[in-house]
Amino acid sequence: MLKDPRGQAREPIVRPLLALAVVLLLCAQADVSHAANARVARTFSLNDYGRLHLTSHRGFTLNEAGSASGTISGTIYIHLTVASTNRVTAEVNIYPHGGSLTGYASASYRPAGAVATFSGTMAVLRGTGTYRHARASGLSFSGTIQRSNDAVTVHVSGRMSA
Amino acid sequence: MPRTRAIAVLAVALLAAVAPAAARAVPEHATLHASFTPDRLGAATTIAFAFKLATGEGLAPPPLTRMDLRIPAGVNYTRTELGLAICQPDALQARGLAGCPANSRLGYGSAVVEVPFGVGAGHEIPEIQAVAGPSPNGNLDVLFYANGLYPVYAQLAFSAEVLPDTGRFGSQLNTIVPLVTSVPGGPDVSIVSVATTIGPTGLTYYKHVHGRLVAFRPRGVSVPERCPRGGFPFAAEFSFQDGSHTSATTAVPCPRPRH
Repeated sequence: MLKDPRGQAREPIVRPLLALAVVLLLCAQADVSHAANARVARTFSLNDYGRLHLTSHRGFTLNEAGSASGTISGTIYIHLTVASTNRVTAEVNIYPHGGSLTGYASASYRPAGAVATFSGTMAVLRGTGTYRHARASGLSFSGTIQRSNDAVTVHVSGRMSA
Repeated sequence: MPRTRAIAVLAVALLAAVAPAAARAVPEHATLHASFTPDRLGAATTIAFAFKLATGEGLAPPPLTRMDLRIPAGVNYTRTELGLAICQPDALQARGLAGCPANSRLGYGSAVVEVPFGVGAGHEIPEIQAVAGPSPNGNLDVLFYANGLYPVYAQLAFSAEVLPDTGRFGSQLNTIVPLVTSVPGGPDVSIVSVATTIGPTGLTYYKHVHGRLVAFRPRGVSVPERCPRGGFPFAAEFSFQDGSHTSATTAVPCPRPRH
């Protein structure tokens, strides 16, 4: 035990310094570890087309399946709900190699003649596998519904991060 | 001023304010009828609707200028094949139904009009056709064509827009009705009643199958899958040339459960 010049005992200065060093070291290690796990979000331009056919329907919802091609290729499923006489909503699932993407869209609907058209925006809110970090909002979402057989085409474009 | 006198003055003033409004009120009366054929939950169907208009004294109403028909929530347009083709208003006006593709037909009916001269309680316009028109505002558009021959010779094409609605109603058919003069320079005719359908009953569409033209009956809009208490509600609001309005409601009874 050290004693001050007045002869009183005092806390050894080495111990707090050592504790501080350990804490700093742990913090630094945590930072390094975090940096190792951190990933730089990659932003890219998405431009995809889908051609789908009706697989089933229930109430106001058409369940469609088909293939997507473009920036991301794979099987595509759409649950297209006619929300009103002039509005549709959709859940879009794409299954490219190594993962999946899920998006939600809302669009105006124009059911005039043999081909109804829709146009609006889509957000990507979920992904799995390679696309687990995929996120996007304000994507352009448009397409057609062939009214004689309910076949759907869809075009999605915009900037997406993954 | 004594209190009773003040109250009396106020009452007279209120009466004076109310009396002209009461005098202005035109007691037009409307009745509305609607039906589904077939009437089964979830089934593709034909909607028939009819209305009658009269004054409170049972006379012909003022000329009709607008009608908004409200259709129950749950009526499903998602998979209907009605209106696979579009009819152009100019072609309809010039050539009648012959100017329109068969696949644009939506329904048909008739009307009774009253002319303000001659004798007789009403004159039937035997041909009213409903066809799908272009949609300038992005909404479903219904073109009505009325072919009047006697005593009013007039071929009229006018459009109605299908708009989304809220609450008990899922959509509404908003129709601006043009005025029709009885004779050149004469007064306008009054619409006394209209009965028409929107649906595949009596319609034949055509499609190409392996190079052959095949006739088929288009799929109609679908009856809602659930029936609300009191039946499927319909409502109509009518506006007249003199600025008066009236309305009517009806309900299609819930179909009996199938066993």
